[in-house]
Amino acid sequence: MQKIMIVEDDQAIREELALLLENEGYAPIVGEDFSTILEQAGRECPDLVLLDVGLPGRDGFSLCANLRKSVKAPVIFVTSRSSSLDEVRALSLGGDDYITKPYSIPVLLARIKAVLRRSGATDGTDVLEAAGLCLSLTKGTVSVSGQTAELTRNELQILACLMAHAGQIVSRADLIETLWDNQIYIDDNTLSVNMTRLRTKLAEIGLPDAIKTRRGMGYQL
Amino acid sequence: MRMSEFLADHMGQLLLRAVFAGAAVLFLLATGTAPGVAVLLLIVWLLVFTTSQVVDYLRQRARLQELEGIMDSLDKQYLFAELAPRGRTVYERRLLDFCRRAGRAMATQVSEAQAAQREYREYVESWVHEVKTPITAAGLICRNAEPEFRRRLAQELAQIEAHVERALFYARAESLEKDFILRESNLSDIVSQAVGQHRTLLIQSGVRVETEDLEQTVFTDGKWAAFILGQLLQNAARYRGNQPLVTLSGRQLGRQVQLTVSDSGIGIPAHELPRIFDRGFTGSNGRAQGGSTGMGLYLCKKLADCLDIGLRVASEVNEGTSVTLTFPSRENLTKV
Repeated sequence: MQKIMIVEDDQAIREELALLLENEGYAPIVGEDFSTILEQAGRECPDLVLLDVGLPGRDGFSLCANLRKSVKAPVIFVTSRSSSLDEVRALSLGGDDYITKPYSIPVLLARIKAVLRRSGATDGTDVLEAAGLCLSLTKGTVSVSGQTAELTRNELQILACLMAHAGQIVSRADLIETLWDNQIYIDDNTLSVNMTRLRTKLAEIGLPDAIKTRRGMGYQL
Repeated sequence: MRMSEFLADHMGQLLLRAVFAGAAVLFLLATGTAPGVAVLLLIVWLLVFTTSQVVDYLRQRARLQELEGIMDSLDKQYLFAELAPRGRTVYERRLLDFCRRAGRAMATQVSEAQAAQREYREYVESWVHEVKTPITAAGLICRNAEPEFRRRLAQELAQIEAHVERALFYARAESLEKDFILRESNLSDIVSQAVGQHRTLLIQSGVRVETEDLEQTVFTDGKWAAFILGQLLQNAARYRGNQPLVTLSGRQLGRQVQLTVSDSGIGIPAHELPRIFDRGFTGSNGRAQGGSTGMGLYLCKKLADCLDIGLRVASEVNEGTSVTLTFPSRENLTKV
Protein backbone atom coordinates (compact mmCIF):
# COMPACT_ATOMS: atom_id res chain seq x y z
CA MET A 1 0.00 0.00 0.00
CA GLN A 2 1.26 3.43 -0.87
CA LYS A 3 1.76 5.82 1.96
CA ILE A 4 0.45 9.33 1.52
CA MET A 5 1.38 11.92 4.07
CA ILE A 6 -1.22 14.62 4.72
CA VAL A 7 0.16 17.93 5.97
CA GLU A 8 -2.87 20.11 6.57
CA ASP A 9 -3.81 22.46 9.37
CA ASP A 10 -7.58 22.19 9.13
CA GLN A 11 -8.69 19.30 11.28
CA ALA A 12 -11.91 18.55 9.42
CA ILE A 13 -10.11 18.32 6.08
CA ARG A 14 -7.31 16.29 7.62
CA GLU A 15 -9.66 13.68 8.99
CA GLU A 16 -11.92 13.49 5.96
CA LEU A 17 -8.98 13.31 3.61
CA ALA A 18 -7.44 10.48 5.63
CA LEU A 19 -10.74 8.59 5.47
CA LEU A 20 -11.09 9.20 1.77
CA LEU A 21 -7.55 8.04 0.99
CA GLU A 22 -8.00 4.98 3.16
CA ASN A 23 -11.18 4.06 1.25
CA GLU A 24 -9.29 4.47 -1.98
CA GLY A 25 -6.70 1.95 -0.87
CA TYR A 26 -3.87 4.20 0.26
CA ALA A 27 -2.24 4.32 3.65
CA PRO A 28 -2.64 7.89 4.91
CA ILE A 29 -0.16 9.31 7.38
CA VAL A 30 -1.46 12.36 9.17
CA GLY A 31 1.13 14.93 10.10
CA GLU A 32 0.31 15.84 13.69
CA ASP A 33 2.93 18.29 14.87
CA PHE A 34 4.03 20.79 12.30
CA SER A 35 7.26 21.59 14.07
CA THR A 36 8.47 18.01 13.72
CA ILE A 37 6.97 17.32 10.32
CA LEU A 38 10.37 16.88 8.69
CA GLU A 39 11.45 14.28 11.22
CA GLN A 40 8.12 12.49 10.88
CA ALA A 41 8.46 12.45 7.12
CA GLY A 42 11.98 11.07 7.40
CA ARG A 43 10.74 8.30 9.69
CA GLU A 44 7.68 7.26 7.71
CA CYS A 45 9.12 7.50 4.20
CA PRO A 46 5.84 8.40 2.45
CA ASP A 47 5.39 7.77 -1.26
CA LEU A 48 3.67 11.13 -1.66
CA VAL A 49 3.15 14.25 0.41
CA LEU A 50 -0.02 16.36 0.22
CA LEU A 51 1.13 19.71 1.52
CA ASP A 52 -1.04 22.65 2.52
CA VAL A 53 0.82 25.86 1.81
CA GLY A 54 -0.91 27.95 4.44
CA LEU A 55 0.28 26.26 7.62
CA PRO A 56 0.32 28.11 10.94
CA GLY A 57 3.67 29.56 11.93
CA ARG A 58 5.39 28.21 8.91
CA ASP A 59 5.38 28.91 5.22
CA GLY A 60 4.46 25.82 3.25
CA PHE A 61 6.75 26.89 0.44
CA SER A 62 9.86 26.87 2.64
CA LEU A 63 8.70 23.65 4.22
CA CYS A 64 8.52 22.12 0.79
CA ALA A 65 12.05 23.19 -0.01
CA ASN A 66 13.28 21.53 3.20
CA LEU A 67 11.13 18.49 2.61
CA ARG A 68 12.62 18.00 -0.80
CA LYS A 69 16.08 17.85 0.75
CA SER A 70 15.29 15.10 3.25
CA VAL A 71 12.60 13.03 1.53
CA LYS A 72 12.52 11.76 -2.01
CA ALA A 73 8.73 11.62 -2.21
CA PRO A 74 6.89 13.81 -4.69
CA VAL A 75 4.95 16.72 -3.24
CA ILE A 76 1.50 17.94 -4.26
CA PHE A 77 0.60 21.39 -3.02
CA VAL A 78 -2.96 21.71 -1.83
CA THR A 79 -3.76 25.33 -1.31
CA SER A 80 -6.47 27.90 -1.32
CA ARG A 81 -4.10 30.46 -2.84
CA SER A 82 -5.06 30.48 -6.44
CA SER A 83 -2.99 33.09 -8.24
CA SER A 84 -0.64 32.16 -11.05
CA LEU A 85 2.17 33.65 -9.02
CA ASP A 86 1.64 31.14 -6.21
CA GLU A 87 1.50 28.32 -8.70
CA VAL A 88 4.73 29.28 -10.41
CA ARG A 89 6.39 29.65 -7.03
CA ALA A 90 5.17 26.26 -5.84
CA LEU A 91 6.28 24.42 -8.92
CA SER A 92 9.65 26.17 -8.99
CA LEU A 93 10.26 25.08 -5.40
CA GLY A 94 10.01 21.46 -6.39
CA GLY A 95 6.31 20.76 -6.04
CA ASP A 96 5.17 18.09 -8.47
CA ASP A 97 1.65 19.33 -8.79
CA TYR A 98 -0.58 22.09 -7.52
CA ILE A 99 -4.23 21.73 -6.59
CA THR A 100 -6.38 24.60 -5.41
CA LYS A 101 -9.12 24.33 -2.83
CA PRO A 102 -11.95 23.66 -3.13
CA TYR A 103 -11.09 20.68 -5.26
CA SER A 104 -13.40 17.99 -6.53
CA ILE A 105 -12.61 14.60 -5.08
CA PRO A 106 -12.23 12.76 -8.41
CA VAL A 107 -9.79 15.42 -9.61
CA LEU A 108 -7.74 15.14 -6.43
CA LEU A 109 -7.59 11.37 -6.72
CA ALA A 110 -6.68 11.54 -10.39
CA ARG A 111 -3.83 13.96 -9.66
CA ILE A 112 -2.53 11.74 -6.85
CA LYS A 113 -2.59 8.76 -9.15
CA ALA A 114 -0.84 10.67 -11.93
CA VAL A 115 1.94 11.95 -9.68
CA LEU A 116 2.47 8.50 -8.15
CA ARG A 117 2.66 7.00 -11.61
CA ARG A 118 5.21 9.57 -12.75
CA SER A 119 7.34 9.04 -9.70
CA GLY A 120 7.31 5.32 -10.40
CA ALA A 121 5.80 4.41 -7.06
CA THR A 122 3.02 2.45 -8.71
CA ASP A 123 3.50 -0.63 -10.79
CA GLY A 124 2.52 1.53 -13.74
CA THR A 125 -0.36 -0.63 -14.77
CA ASP A 126 -2.74 0.66 -17.38
CA VAL A 127 -4.84 -2.45 -17.34
CA LEU A 128 -8.00 -2.74 -15.26
CA GLU A 129 -9.39 -6.15 -14.43
CA ALA A 130 -12.80 -6.78 -12.95
CA ALA A 131 -15.74 -9.13 -13.43
CA GLY A 132 -13.74 -11.23 -15.88
CA LEU A 133 -13.14 -8.23 -18.14
CA CYS A 134 -9.71 -6.92 -18.97
CA LEU A 135 -9.55 -3.25 -19.98
CA SER A 136 -6.47 -1.75 -21.54
CA LEU A 137 -6.56 2.00 -20.98
CA THR A 138 -3.75 2.83 -23.40
CA LYS A 139 -4.91 0.60 -26.23
CA GLY A 140 -8.57 1.35 -25.64
CA THR A 141 -9.63 -2.25 -25.87
CA VAL A 142 -11.62 -4.59 -23.71
CA SER A 143 -11.07 -8.33 -23.83
CA VAL A 144 -12.66 -11.35 -22.30
CA SER A 145 -11.52 -14.96 -22.80
CA GLY A 146 -9.51 -14.18 -25.90
CA GLN A 147 -12.07 -11.97 -27.62
CA THR A 148 -11.31 -8.27 -27.95
CA ALA A 149 -13.40 -5.21 -28.79
CA GLU A 150 -12.21 -1.69 -29.49
CA LEU A 151 -13.85 1.10 -27.57
CA THR A 152 -14.28 4.79 -28.22
CA ARG A 153 -12.95 7.30 -25.69
CA ASN A 154 -16.38 7.78 -24.08
CA GLU A 155 -17.10 4.06 -23.86
CA LEU A 156 -13.66 3.44 -22.41
CA GLN A 157 -14.17 5.96 -19.61
CA ILE A 158 -17.64 4.65 -18.82
CA LEU A 159 -16.40 1.09 -18.58
CA ALA A 160 -13.32 2.13 -16.58
CA CYS A 161 -15.54 3.89 -14.08
CA LEU A 162 -17.84 0.87 -13.75
CA MET A 163 -14.89 -1.50 -13.40
CA ALA A 164 -13.24 0.68 -10.76
CA HIS A 165 -16.42 0.25 -8.74
CA ALA A 166 -17.15 -3.33 -9.75
CA GLY A 167 -20.05 -4.80 -7.82
CA GLN A 168 -21.24 -1.39 -6.66
CA ILE A 169 -24.06 0.60 -8.17
CA VAL A 170 -22.85 3.67 -10.02
CA SER A 171 -25.50 6.32 -10.58
CA ARG A 172 -25.91 8.04 -13.91
CA ALA A 173 -25.06 11.36 -12.28
CA ASP A 174 -21.80 9.96 -10.91
CA LEU A 175 -20.94 8.53 -14.32
CA ILE A 176 -21.56 11.89 -15.98
CA GLU A 177 -19.42 13.68 -13.38
CA THR A 178 -16.58 11.21 -13.86
CA LEU A 179 -16.74 11.72 -17.61
CA TRP A 180 -16.70 15.51 -17.22
CA ASP A 181 -13.61 15.18 -15.07
CA ASN A 182 -12.02 13.47 -18.06
CA GLN A 183 -12.98 16.32 -20.39
CA ILE A 184 -15.88 14.44 -21.91
CA TYR A 185 -18.78 16.86 -21.55
CA ILE A 186 -21.82 14.70 -22.22
CA ASP A 187 -25.40 15.02 -21.14
CA ASP A 188 -27.90 12.43 -20.04
CA ASN A 189 -29.06 11.47 -23.54
CA THR A 190 -25.56 11.03 -24.86
CA LEU A 191 -24.76 8.81 -21.91
CA SER A 192 -27.68 6.56 -22.81
CA VAL A 193 -26.49 6.33 -26.41
CA ASN A 194 -22.95 5.50 -25.34
CA MET A 195 -24.21 2.96 -22.84
CA THR A 196 -26.21 1.15 -25.51
CA ARG A 197 -23.19 1.04 -27.83
CA LEU A 198 -20.98 -0.23 -25.03
CA ARG A 199 -23.45 -3.00 -24.25
CA THR A 200 -23.62 -4.00 -27.91
CA LYS A 201 -19.84 -4.26 -28.04
CA LEU A 202 -19.73 -6.32 -24.86
CA ALA A 203 -22.45 -8.58 -26.29
CA GLU A 204 -20.34 -9.13 -29.40
CA ILE A 205 -17.52 -10.54 -27.32
CA GLY A 206 -19.90 -12.77 -25.44
CA LEU A 207 -20.99 -10.73 -22.45
CA PRO A 208 -24.50 -9.50 -23.25
CA ASP A 209 -25.53 -8.82 -19.67
CA ALA A 210 -22.30 -7.62 -18.12
CA ILE A 211 -23.73 -4.22 -17.25
CA LYS A 212 -26.93 -4.42 -15.30
CA THR A 213 -29.38 -1.54 -15.06
CA ARG A 214 -30.60 -0.94 -11.55
CA ARG A 215 -33.80 0.92 -12.06
CA GLY A 216 -33.82 4.29 -10.38
CA MET A 217 -30.32 3.80 -9.02
CA GLY A 218 -27.84 3.42 -11.84
CA TYR A 219 -25.63 0.78 -13.35
CA GLN A 220 -23.75 -2.14 -11.91
CA LEU A 221 -21.05 -4.33 -13.35
CA MET B 1 -1.37 85.34 -21.51
CA ARG B 2 -2.99 87.84 -23.81
CA MET B 3 -2.29 91.57 -23.85
CA SER B 4 -5.83 92.31 -22.69
CA GLU B 5 -5.38 90.02 -19.70
CA PHE B 6 -2.12 91.74 -18.83
CA LEU B 7 -3.79 95.16 -19.08
CA ALA B 8 -6.73 94.06 -16.98
CA ASP B 9 -4.29 92.84 -14.35
CA HIS B 10 -2.50 96.20 -14.23
CA MET B 11 -5.51 98.45 -14.72
CA GLY B 12 -5.28 100.09 -11.29
CA GLN B 13 -1.62 101.00 -11.69
CA LEU B 14 -2.13 102.29 -15.21
CA LEU B 15 -4.98 104.54 -14.15
CA LEU B 16 -3.04 105.79 -11.13
CA ARG B 17 -0.03 106.69 -13.29
CA ALA B 18 -2.20 108.38 -15.89
CA VAL B 19 -3.80 110.49 -13.18
CA PHE B 20 -0.37 111.33 -11.77
CA ALA B 21 0.99 112.23 -15.22
CA GLY B 22 -2.03 114.49 -15.84
CA ALA B 23 -1.57 116.12 -12.44
CA ALA B 24 2.17 116.62 -13.10
CA VAL B 25 1.42 118.32 -16.44
CA LEU B 26 -1.16 120.61 -14.80
CA PHE B 27 1.34 121.41 -12.03
CA LEU B 28 4.05 122.24 -14.58
CA LEU B 29 1.68 124.48 -16.57
CA ALA B 30 0.50 126.22 -13.39
CA THR B 31 4.10 126.89 -12.28
CA GLY B 32 4.82 128.58 -15.62
CA THR B 33 6.49 125.83 -17.65
CA ALA B 34 6.02 126.39 -21.35
CA PRO B 35 3.25 124.14 -22.74
CA GLY B 36 5.64 122.74 -25.41
CA VAL B 37 8.08 121.55 -22.74
CA ALA B 38 5.30 120.01 -20.69
CA VAL B 39 3.96 118.08 -23.72
CA LEU B 40 7.50 116.96 -24.62
CA LEU B 41 8.02 115.68 -21.08
CA LEU B 42 4.67 113.86 -21.23
CA ILE B 43 5.60 112.16 -24.56
CA VAL B 44 9.02 111.06 -23.25
CA TRP B 45 7.45 109.69 -20.06
CA LEU B 46 4.77 107.87 -22.11
CA LEU B 47 7.40 106.26 -24.34
CA VAL B 48 9.56 105.07 -21.43
CA PHE B 49 6.54 103.85 -19.48
CA THR B 50 4.94 101.99 -22.40
CA THR B 51 8.24 100.34 -23.32
CA SER B 52 8.78 99.12 -19.78
CA GLN B 53 5.23 97.75 -19.66
CA VAL B 54 5.64 95.94 -22.99
CA VAL B 55 8.94 94.44 -21.86
CA ASP B 56 7.25 93.38 -18.65
CA TYR B 57 4.42 91.79 -20.58
CA LEU B 58 6.74 89.91 -22.93
CA ARG B 59 8.82 88.57 -20.05
CA GLN B 60 5.80 87.37 -18.16
CA ARG B 61 4.41 85.73 -21.26
CA ALA B 62 7.70 83.97 -22.00
CA ARG B 63 7.93 82.77 -18.42
CA LEU B 64 4.41 81.36 -18.49
CA GLN B 65 5.10 79.63 -21.78
CA GLU B 66 8.24 78.11 -20.32
CA LEU B 67 6.35 76.78 -17.31
CA GLU B 68 3.53 75.50 -19.48
CA GLY B 69 6.05 73.69 -21.64
CA ILE B 70 7.44 71.96 -18.56
CA MET B 71 3.94 71.07 -17.42
CA ASP B 72 2.96 69.61 -20.77
CA SER B 73 6.11 67.55 -21.04
CA LEU B 74 5.44 65.90 -17.68
CA ASP B 75 4.16 62.36 -17.55
CA LYS B 76 2.91 62.88 -14.00
CA GLN B 77 1.68 66.45 -13.97
CA TYR B 78 1.07 66.51 -10.25
CA LEU B 79 4.87 66.63 -9.83
CA PHE B 80 4.99 70.00 -11.61
CA ALA B 81 5.80 72.08 -8.56
CA GLU B 82 8.68 69.75 -7.65
CA LEU B 83 10.19 70.03 -11.09
CA ALA B 84 9.54 73.70 -11.88
CA PRO B 85 12.64 75.94 -12.05
CA ARG B 86 13.43 78.19 -9.10
CA GLY B 87 11.10 81.18 -9.01
CA ARG B 88 12.59 84.46 -10.28
CA THR B 89 10.86 86.66 -7.80
CA VAL B 90 10.04 86.21 -4.14
CA TYR B 91 6.38 86.26 -5.08
CA GLU B 92 6.81 83.50 -7.69
CA ARG B 93 8.90 81.42 -5.29
CA ARG B 94 6.24 81.66 -2.61
CA LEU B 95 3.51 80.61 -5.04
CA LEU B 96 5.52 77.62 -6.25
CA ASP B 97 6.17 76.75 -2.65
CA PHE B 98 2.43 76.67 -1.96
CA CYS B 99 1.95 74.42 -4.97
CA ARG B 100 4.62 72.07 -3.66
CA ARG B 101 3.03 71.93 -0.24
CA ALA B 102 -0.39 71.29 -1.73
CA GLY B 103 1.10 68.56 -3.93
CA ARG B 104 2.74 66.87 -0.98
CA ALA B 105 -0.42 66.98 1.09
CA MET B 106 -2.28 65.44 -1.84
CA ALA B 107 0.38 62.76 -2.27
CA THR B 108 0.03 61.81 1.39
CA GLN B 109 -3.73 61.56 1.02
CA VAL B 110 -3.43 59.47 -2.11
CA SER B 111 -0.90 57.10 -0.63
CA GLU B 112 -3.03 56.70 2.47
CA ALA B 113 -6.03 55.89 0.30
CA GLN B 114 -3.94 53.45 -1.71
CA ALA B 115 -2.65 51.78 1.42
CA ALA B 116 -6.20 51.44 2.71
CA GLN B 117 -7.30 49.97 -0.60
CA ARG B 118 -4.37 47.57 -0.61
CA GLU B 119 -5.11 46.48 2.93
CA TYR B 120 -8.74 45.96 2.08
CA ARG B 121 -7.83 43.94 -0.95
CA GLU B 122 -5.37 41.86 1.05
CA TYR B 123 -8.05 41.24 3.62
CA VAL B 124 -10.56 40.17 0.96
CA GLU B 125 -7.96 37.86 -0.57
CA SER B 126 -7.04 36.25 2.71
CA TRP B 127 -10.71 36.01 3.65
CA VAL B 128 -11.41 34.25 0.38
CA HIS B 129 -8.56 31.84 1.01
CA GLU B 130 -9.80 31.18 4.51
CA VAL B 131 -13.38 30.55 3.46
CA LYS B 132 -12.22 28.04 0.87
CA THR B 133 -11.02 25.73 3.62
CA PRO B 134 -14.47 25.12 5.12
CA ILE B 135 -15.95 24.84 1.63
CA THR B 136 -13.41 22.12 0.86
CA ALA B 137 -14.13 20.42 4.16
CA ALA B 138 -17.89 20.55 3.52
CA GLY B 139 -17.34 19.00 0.09
CA LEU B 140 -15.31 16.17 1.61
CA ILE B 141 -17.78 15.60 4.42
CA CYS B 142 -20.86 15.41 2.21
CA ARG B 143 -19.37 12.78 -0.12
CA ASN B 144 -20.71 10.02 2.13
CA ALA B 145 -24.20 11.43 2.24
CA GLU B 146 -27.19 10.02 0.42
CA PRO B 147 -26.78 10.82 -3.33
CA GLU B 148 -29.72 13.17 -3.81
CA PHE B 149 -28.83 15.13 -0.69
CA ARG B 150 -25.18 15.24 -1.72
CA ARG B 151 -26.03 16.54 -5.15
CA ARG B 152 -28.17 19.33 -3.80
CA LEU B 153 -25.56 20.30 -1.27
CA ALA B 154 -22.87 20.16 -3.93
CA GLN B 155 -24.90 22.57 -6.02
CA GLU B 156 -25.14 25.05 -3.16
CA LEU B 157 -21.44 24.68 -2.42
CA ALA B 158 -20.65 25.31 -6.06
CA GLN B 159 -22.70 28.50 -5.88
CA ILE B 160 -20.88 29.67 -2.77
CA GLU B 161 -17.62 28.94 -4.53
CA ALA B 162 -18.65 30.95 -7.59
CA HIS B 163 -19.64 33.94 -5.45
CA VAL B 164 -16.42 33.75 -3.47
CA GLU B 165 -14.38 33.56 -6.64
CA ARG B 166 -16.11 36.65 -8.00
CA ALA B 167 -15.30 38.55 -4.82
CA LEU B 168 -11.67 37.54 -5.15
CA PHE B 169 -11.42 38.66 -8.74
CA TYR B 170 -13.31 41.84 -7.98
CA ALA B 171 -10.67 42.69 -5.38
CA ARG B 172 -7.96 41.86 -7.87
CA ALA B 173 -9.49 43.78 -10.74
CA GLU B 174 -10.11 46.93 -8.73
CA SER B 175 -6.64 46.93 -7.26
CA LEU B 176 -3.85 48.97 -8.80
CA GLU B 177 -1.30 46.22 -8.57
CA LYS B 178 -2.23 43.57 -11.05
CA ASP B 179 -0.64 40.31 -10.11
CA PHE B 180 -1.18 38.24 -13.20
CA ILE B 181 1.47 36.45 -15.16
CA LEU B 182 1.29 36.45 -18.92
CA ARG B 183 2.76 33.26 -20.24
CA GLU B 184 2.27 30.56 -22.80
CA SER B 185 -0.88 28.64 -21.99
CA ASN B 186 -2.86 26.00 -23.75
CA LEU B 187 -6.38 27.06 -24.69
CA SER B 188 -7.80 23.61 -24.01
CA ASP B 189 -6.28 23.65 -20.50
CA ILE B 190 -7.97 26.96 -19.80
CA VAL B 191 -11.27 25.66 -21.12
CA SER B 192 -11.16 22.44 -19.13
CA GLN B 193 -10.24 24.42 -16.02
CA ALA B 194 -13.27 26.68 -16.50
CA VAL B 195 -15.65 23.86 -17.37
CA GLY B 196 -14.35 21.82 -14.45
CA GLN B 197 -15.01 24.67 -12.04
CA HIS B 198 -18.61 25.02 -13.16
CA ARG B 199 -19.24 21.37 -13.86
CA THR B 200 -21.88 21.02 -11.17
CA LEU B 201 -23.96 23.94 -12.43
CA LEU B 202 -23.61 22.91 -16.07
CA ILE B 203 -24.55 19.28 -15.47
CA GLN B 204 -27.52 20.20 -13.28
CA SER B 205 -28.76 22.68 -15.87
CA GLY B 206 -28.49 19.95 -18.49
CA VAL B 207 -26.11 22.01 -20.60
CA ARG B 208 -24.19 20.12 -23.22
CA VAL B 209 -20.68 21.38 -23.84
CA GLU B 210 -18.94 20.94 -27.16
CA THR B 211 -15.39 21.92 -27.97
CA GLU B 212 -13.70 22.53 -31.30
CA ASP B 213 -10.07 23.25 -32.24
CA LEU B 214 -8.88 24.12 -28.79
CA GLU B 215 -5.31 22.96 -29.31
CA GLN B 216 -3.99 26.49 -29.57
CA THR B 217 -1.35 28.38 -27.68
CA VAL B 218 -2.30 31.71 -26.16
CA PHE B 219 -0.28 34.20 -24.14
CA THR B 220 -2.28 35.06 -21.10
CA ASP B 221 -2.79 34.33 -17.44
CA GLY B 222 -4.56 30.98 -17.43
CA LYS B 223 -6.39 31.54 -14.13
CA TRP B 224 -7.74 34.94 -15.11
CA ALA B 225 -8.79 33.69 -18.52
CA ALA B 226 -10.48 30.67 -16.92
CA PHE B 227 -12.38 33.01 -14.61
CA ILE B 228 -13.62 35.05 -17.58
CA LEU B 229 -14.72 31.87 -19.34
CA GLY B 230 -16.36 30.69 -16.14
CA GLN B 231 -18.56 33.79 -16.03
CA LEU B 232 -19.63 33.18 -19.63
CA LEU B 233 -20.39 29.52 -18.86
CA GLN B 234 -22.45 30.50 -15.82
CA ASN B 235 -24.44 32.94 -17.93
CA ALA B 236 -24.99 30.25 -20.54
CA ALA B 237 -26.37 27.97 -17.84
CA ARG B 238 -28.48 30.66 -16.19
CA TYR B 239 -30.01 32.05 -19.35
CA ARG B 240 -30.47 28.76 -21.15
CA GLY B 241 -33.19 27.84 -23.56
CA ASN B 242 -34.54 24.42 -24.47
CA GLN B 243 -31.84 21.84 -25.10
CA PRO B 244 -29.04 24.08 -23.94
CA LEU B 245 -25.75 23.76 -25.73
CA VAL B 246 -22.51 25.66 -25.31
CA THR B 247 -19.87 25.48 -28.00
CA LEU B 248 -16.33 26.56 -27.29
CA SER B 249 -14.33 26.87 -30.46
CA GLY B 250 -10.82 28.09 -31.05
CA ARG B 251 -9.57 29.75 -34.20
CA GLN B 252 -6.21 30.99 -35.36
CA LEU B 253 -6.52 34.46 -36.85
CA GLY B 254 -3.21 35.64 -38.18
CA ARG B 255 -1.04 35.83 -35.11
CA GLN B 256 -3.97 36.10 -32.79
CA VAL B 257 -6.10 33.33 -31.38
CA GLN B 258 -9.83 33.66 -30.99
CA LEU B 259 -12.07 31.70 -28.70
CA THR B 260 -15.79 31.84 -29.30
CA VAL B 261 -18.24 30.80 -26.63
CA SER B 262 -21.67 30.46 -28.14
CA ASP B 263 -24.77 29.25 -26.41
CA SER B 264 -28.27 28.43 -27.53
CA GLY B 265 -29.81 30.50 -24.78
CA ILE B 266 -32.52 33.12 -24.58
CA GLY B 267 -30.29 35.87 -25.95
CA ILE B 268 -29.93 39.56 -25.10
CA PRO B 269 -32.21 42.28 -26.58
CA ALA B 270 -30.30 44.45 -29.04
CA HIS B 271 -30.89 47.69 -27.16
CA GLU B 272 -29.30 46.24 -24.02
CA LEU B 273 -26.16 44.99 -25.73
CA PRO B 274 -24.17 48.23 -25.43
CA ARG B 275 -24.60 48.24 -21.68
CA ILE B 276 -23.97 44.64 -20.72
CA PHE B 277 -20.41 45.33 -19.54
CA ASP B 278 -21.52 48.19 -17.28
CA ARG B 279 -21.04 47.72 -13.60
CA GLY B 280 -24.26 46.62 -11.94
CA PHE B 281 -26.24 46.46 -15.16
CA THR B 282 -28.91 43.79 -15.02
CA GLY B 283 -30.80 43.48 -18.25
CA SER B 284 -34.39 42.39 -18.67
CA ASN B 285 -33.25 38.75 -18.50
CA GLY B 286 -31.44 39.31 -15.23
CA ARG B 287 -34.44 41.05 -13.72
CA ALA B 288 -36.85 38.39 -14.96
CA GLN B 289 -34.79 35.61 -13.36
CA GLY B 290 -33.68 37.46 -10.27
CA GLY B 291 -30.41 36.94 -8.50
CA SER B 292 -28.43 38.80 -11.12
CA THR B 293 -25.79 41.12 -9.71
CA GLY B 294 -24.58 42.76 -12.90
CA MET B 295 -21.03 41.99 -11.87
CA GLY B 296 -20.09 38.97 -13.98
CA LEU B 297 -19.69 40.62 -17.35
CA TYR B 298 -18.35 43.82 -15.79
CA LEU B 299 -15.54 41.80 -14.25
CA CYS B 300 -15.00 39.94 -17.53
CA LYS B 301 -14.47 43.21 -19.33
CA LYS B 302 -12.23 44.63 -16.65
CA LEU B 303 -10.02 41.55 -16.46
CA ALA B 304 -9.98 41.15 -20.22
CA ASP B 305 -8.74 44.73 -20.57
CA CYS B 306 -5.89 43.99 -18.16
CA LEU B 307 -4.91 40.95 -20.18
CA ASP B 308 -5.37 42.78 -23.46
CA ILE B 309 -8.05 40.31 -24.52
CA GLY B 310 -10.66 41.68 -26.91
CA LEU B 311 -14.28 40.90 -25.99
CA ARG B 312 -17.03 40.98 -28.57
CA VAL B 313 -20.62 39.97 -28.02
CA ALA B 314 -23.26 39.14 -30.57
CA SER B 315 -26.71 38.06 -29.56
CA GLU B 316 -30.08 37.29 -31.00
CA VAL B 317 -33.14 37.01 -28.80
CA ASN B 318 -34.32 33.37 -28.55
CA GLU B 319 -31.38 32.24 -30.69
CA GLY B 320 -28.43 32.58 -28.38
CA THR B 321 -25.41 34.62 -27.50
CA SER B 322 -21.88 34.29 -28.67
CA VAL B 323 -18.91 35.94 -27.04
CA THR B 324 -15.60 36.09 -28.86
CA LEU B 325 -12.38 36.46 -26.95
CA THR B 326 -9.44 37.62 -29.02
CA PHE B 327 -6.16 36.80 -27.32
CA PRO B 328 -3.24 39.07 -28.14
CA SER B 329 -0.31 37.72 -30.06
CA ARG B 330 3.01 37.40 -28.31
CA GLU B 331 4.51 40.32 -30.27
CA ASN B 332 1.79 42.70 -29.14
CA LEU B 333 2.16 41.62 -25.56
CA THR B 334 5.75 42.67 -25.22
CA LYS B 335 4.56 46.22 -25.74
CA VAL B 336 2.12 46.13 -22.85
